[in-house]
Amino acid sequence: MNTAMLSRWLLFGEWRAHLVQVTVALIAIAIGVAMAFSIHLINTAAFNEFSAASKSLSGQSDLQVRGRKTFFDEALYPVLARHDGVAVANPVLEFDVAIPGKQQNRNDHKLKIIGIDMFRAMRISPDLLGLVEEGKTLDRLADDAIFLSPAAMEWLQVEQGDSLQLNAGLQAVTLRVAGGLVRARAGQRIAVMDIGSAQWRFQQLGVLSRIELKLRDGVNHAAFKAKLAEELGEAYWVTEAVDQEKRIANMSRAYRINLNMLALVALFTGTFLVFSTQALSVIRRRQQFALLRVLGFTRQQLLRQIMTEGGILGVSGSLLGLALGYAVALLAIQLLGGDLGTNFFPGVKPGIHFDPWDAGIFFAVGLSVTMLGSIIPALEAARAKPALALRSGSEDTAMAKLSPPWFALICLSVAALFTQLPPVFELPIFGYLAIVLLLIGGIALMPRLTAGFFSIVLAKWQRHRSGAVSTLALARLANAPNQAAIALGGILASFSLMVAMAIMVTSFRISIDNWLGRVLPADLYVRAAASGDLQTDAQKAIAGLPGFDRVDFFRTQQLTLDVNRPEITLFARPVDKADARNTLPLTDDMIASEALPENVMPIWVSEAMVDLYGYRVGEKVTLPIGVKSSEFLVAGVWRDYGRQFGAIQMQLADYQALTGDLGVNTVALWLQPGANLDAVTAGLRQLPFGAALEISRSSDMRALSLEIFDRSFAVTYLLELVAVVIGLLGVAASFSAQTLARVKEFGMLRHIGVMRRQILVMLAAEGGLLTALGMVLGFLLGWSISLILVFIVNPQSFHWTMQLHLPWNWLGMIALIMLIAAALTALLAGRRAVSGEVIRAVREDW
Amino acid sequence: MKQNKWSGASVVIALVLLFLGLVGTGALAESDRLKPVTPGYKLIFPQDYGAHQDFRIEWWYITGWLETEDKKPLGFQVTFFRYATGHNQDNPSQFAAKYLIIAHLALSDPAAGKLMHEEKSLREGFNLAYAKEGNTDVRLDDWTLVREENGRYQVEMQGSDFGLSLALTPAQMAMLQDQNGFSRKGPKPEQASYYYSEPHLSVTGTVFRDNKPVTVSGRAWLDHEWSTAYLDPEADGWDWTGANLDDGSALMAFQIRRKGGGKVWAYAALRDPSGNMRLFEPEQVEFTPVRTWQSPHTEAAYPVAMHIRTGEIEWRLTPLLDDQELDSRQSTGSVYWEGAVTLTKDNQPAGKGYLELTGYVKPLAL
Amino acid sequence: MLELMNVNKAYAEGRKVLTGLSYKLEAGEYVAIMGESGVGKSTLLNLIAGLDTPDSGEIMINGVAISSLDDDAATQLRREQFGFIFQAFHVLPHLTVAQNVALPLLLNGVATERVAQMLRDVGLHDRGHHFPRQLSGGELQRVAIARALVHWPKLVLADEPTGNLDPDTAHEILQLMRTEIKANGATGILVTHSHAAAATADRVLNLTKDGLHPAKPGERV
Repeated sequence: MNTAMLSRWLLFGEWRAHLVQVTVALIAIAIGVAMAFSIHLINTAAFNEFSAASKSLSGQSDLQVRGRKTFFDEALYPVLARHDGVAVANPVLEFDVAIPGKQQNRNDHKLKIIGIDMFRAMRISPDLLGLVEEGKTLDRLADDAIFLSPAAMEWLQVEQGDSLQLNAGLQAVTLRVAGGLVRARAGQRIAVMDIGSAQWRFQQLGVLSRIELKLRDGVNHAAFKAKLAEELGEAYWVTEAVDQEKRIANMSRAYRINLNMLALVALFTGTFLVFSTQALSVIRRRQQFALLRVLGFTRQQLLRQIMTEGGILGVSGSLLGLALGYAVALLAIQLLGGDLGTNFFPGVKPGIHFDPWDAGIFFAVGLSVTMLGSIIPALEAARAKPALALRSGSEDTAMAKLSPPWFALICLSVAALFTQLPPVFELPIFGYLAIVLLLIGGIALMPRLTAGFFSIVLAKWQRHRSGAVSTLALARLANAPNQAAIALGGILASFSLMVAMAIMVTSFRISIDNWLGRVLPADLYVRAAASGDLQTDAQKAIAGLPGFDRVDFFRTQQLTLDVNRPEITLFARPVDKADARNTLPLTDDMIASEALPENVMPIWVSEAMVDLYGYRVGEKVTLPIGVKSSEFLVAGVWRDYGRQFGAIQMQLADYQALTGDLGVNTVALWLQPGANLDAVTAGLRQLPFGAALEISRSSDMRALSLEIFDRSFAVTYLLELVAVVIGLLGVAASFSAQTLARVKEFGMLRHIGVMRRQILVMLAAEGGLLTALGMVLGFLLGWSISLILVFIVNPQSFHWTMQLHLPWNWLGMIALIMLIAAALTALLAGRRAVSGEVIRAVREDW
Repeated sequence: MKQNKWSGASVVIALVLLFLGLVGTGALAESDRLKPVTPGYKLIFPQDYGAHQDFRIEWWYITGWLETEDKKPLGFQVTFFRYATGHNQDNPSQFAAKYLIIAHLALSDPAAGKLMHEEKSLREGFNLAYAKEGNTDVRLDDWTLVREENGRYQVEMQGSDFGLSLALTPAQMAMLQDQNGFSRKGPKPEQASYYYSEPHLSVTGTVFRDNKPVTVSGRAWLDHEWSTAYLDPEADGWDWTGANLDDGSALMAFQIRRKGGGKVWAYAALRDPSGNMRLFEPEQVEFTPVRTWQSPHTEAAYPVAMHIRTGEIEWRLTPLLDDQELDSRQSTGSVYWEGAVTLTKDNQPAGKGYLELTGYVKPLAL
Repeated sequence: MLELMNVNKAYAEGRKVLTGLSYKLEAGEYVAIMGESGVGKSTLLNLIAGLDTPDSGEIMINGVAISSLDDDAATQLRREQFGFIFQAFHVLPHLTVAQNVALPLLLNGVATERVAQMLRDVGLHDRGHHFPRQLSGGELQRVAIARALVHWPKLVLADEPTGNLDPDTAHEILQLMRTEIKANGATGILVTHSHAAAATADRVLNLTKDGLHPAKPGERV
């Protein structure tokens, strides 16, 4: 007999007979792969697009020179243009302008304006040259012309030839839309003007944002960069294009990696499902395999047979998963945008690109996971003594070998150890590993826990009263724990992940809500339209308005402290001298105000500053504020959920003394008791520059922030949902597999007088009880995971801490839903248990 | 002779106007500040060697024949334009684009079989680009054209794969075109420019090809012209030549072709070594194509070999090489043929010069 | 006690198995049914157990027409009055021996004291707490016999109960079965291929295409 043909017969026979199980396994693999692949695709697409968009702004330069502060003196430009080794020096002035009436969220109301010298930009960033109307090339130099990207035109609802009114500080500027930026990336909202006109119109005379350099052929970039950096001194940063990319990558790295980790966790849940499906399918056929062995199948042949089966499943499931993942990614980008609604990649509309290499990697992951799920039971089946395996009742013993308790305990202990380790490359790698190990260990420990728990219940139960159905259900759970536990694994994994995410998100949300209350204490916040400041006369005018109890002025500024990191934010504001806690949401890590020395300038740093820049309370640090760098004392650490890259608060008086800059960007206003919010808002609007003010109520800002927060976590809810579906699929798969395996049992029970209804009740009870235990254990596991998320993953990746809050109602509701869903799933899967074929099954030997 | 003349270098005006997309539109209106060109102005030197900020456009334009030490001929063209944008007059920014400096550099090398060319543009400012008043002193980054006190011009222009460093010494006095430097450019009186030439500049210096220096010497022709006017709307293109004749004479001739055939204007001047100018009326000047060459780059057919009649004199122009097309559609967008030519009179070698042919390619929509 | 009245049954594809089968079995009788493979022995057992319905004819058990019962009623009937012994034992692996034996009592909601007695009777008095995987085939069939009779069934159906056992064990089991059926006052039907097995019954019937007939005396018994 041709063994290949036999192998084929066995394969097709099995699949024909158990189409449902095979389909479920296929879907499980596909969903696992699809999740991971789609998130990878979306992330990559969004990141590449974001990075391409940023790159298209900086063009093909070899080096970039920028100041530590946002703007620097243009006198550097001719110096660099004439510098030895420089082929082209391209001066750029870049700033954001607030668009009135476009304040849906904080990243979405600004138009980026880039001032360029077309003759220089032509050689470095030709994509930024505006497309002029025929015969109007000079518009590129005109002092009233602005060029808009298609996305910006759409957003602002203007076309070529229209006039566009923008705010520059407190003044209005009317510009002519001279044309488009056809090569802007899809969704990129930018505007380009002549650099001289931009300086003039937006009151930025004499300053630049950066100078991009193209070096002469043969000039060593690294050497030139080092030399130039030395020449320019510490006031300037000289960066290469790769630095720029690194910086961009750094901005969203934590977000991207966290999302990828979540996707991997989904894949892991899928893996478990595949494993259990495969294991169950192999174990169901233990006797069959034993017979084959008896008939002369060698161990290798048997192994190969099972592995072939797994391989075919893995290949088709993974291929299906890739297709599904691709489709999901396309859909998600359409519906949610490239950052899945989180605003990590503002203003880009990425397209999904299918990279065969990446697809290959995810295909390989899906396949190897399936093979892994097959090989362990396959090895067990091949190793089993055929004579023993031929006898029924040995299945559970076989399964016990798949999850030895020491393995579970090792996983749990290593997980505990990993929670104590520091981040790697500023990422909570060990935190995630601990989560995975916790899950594996928890699941591996399941059979023991199930057996122990249900044995006790069974014993107690029988003491009170004895019902056949309850005895049957409990006895099965207690005495065949491994099969039960395999069904539980999926639920356990998904429920614990869900609990963990729910606790984390709730903790985060409540912490943010509290924090918002602390950081937005005033009733109204007033800002000058971006790029403009409120000078002293404007400040006086606002302070002089009636209806206010207290008026605080803020100066905010972006500051580059490390060229490889995104800018930090500097807040100069009046901080309560008696107790800084009255102004700032400080952690316990602080120096009391009375303990501060007289002659130092205190700063309060966000938690990110501690993690990223190593600032410690009580330490003296030097910051480039003012003409020269000055020394400050770190007086405290505050929680900042707004800026993960770091922020510093200082006294406004210190700032003004150091810089002589008396302008402010934000005014916080406290209403007098009884003052009418609308009336004072109207008063502000009636100021001569009132039209150019952005006036926000703190209640609106809070609501907006929470809305953004919720949107950011929409994708995690989605992931949770998928995890639950996978878990329920697992229940369905293992119950239907077990129903098949138990067909003779049901047949016998039907013979000796168990009613159909009773069998269904038994199955539902088994499913329900199992799920209930899964919920309890899942909750414990999920709670442990949430501790890791809240106290390890979040501080390590986003540099903020929060307090733990448990969403009891929500958890209870989810538990109930899952309980019902699992019982129903078990019932549904058990439909066959009451069909006519079970009666025939008792007469079969298989 | 008639004073209705139009200089060959007007080509360049049109070029710039083409480049800036201003042809046919009234960009003058918004800038009352700019002066018109009027007859009767007397050119004053050295002041008029320098820049004239009150006029829309101005250029210094040098073409010439060089010879390497091993007697290989080369043609070169160097042009600096200054252009008033009419924008940003009140803009206090140092970057305010009030004036642009544009420069073209081209080298015709029969060995290479084609024209090498490069161009740059920049706004005036930060001392990186300027055209100074008082004497010829123009800079665009590291490209410079400077006239020294003694009248010698220094040109320094390094492109990415070729360049030149030349000293040009006058051997003759300046040649004021047309009516003592007031040069008509079309049938309307305001279509005019101020225009002088310096023929027979003797050239010494170095040419760089593939970063290798080659010592050269030769003879060149310089035009300096400034104006506020623009092309006649009927104009389709023009043909121009300026030649240093072997006997020390200097010949300049051009015609402006009318759309659909015929000419809008023409002018020629022949100055003998002793300085006597002979000017020709438009109807006395006639250009007749002898042979056309079709550009493989742009598909345009240029009459690269030309027969020119000035009065009773018949000239025959033969190109140093056919492919001397300056195709910069990728940058400024202008396309023209600017080539070194040899002149024969009555089948006898008469001199060397440059021929410029424009308007043979449809203007590109910019 | 059991009466077959002109029972007809065809397979789904139309092939007739049982045609005009009529027979009457008195209470307390223990008969063996023999017949060639495919002649419908298992079908007959299913019909008697109410797990299948005849195409026509009637099966009466203590005067009750079993085909008139719905599934629940038939199940109830089986639960109270039937005992089953299978070739493949069908002992639940996750229940102990005692629990397996107790199943019918639990199903009927009666006290389980008799389990110990039954285990003693089948010779497994010290194995009650064992799981089926710890038992041999013969022992498993003893468990099955105990389970089949623990609830005082009226009718015990045994389908090739010794098909999976060696001849010595088979003999022991057959003897035990007979003893226990008689001891519990049940009526027994033993379906078997084995003449030796059939010989342990009171009477031997042959199932053929033509119906159920007493084995001819000439046949070897």
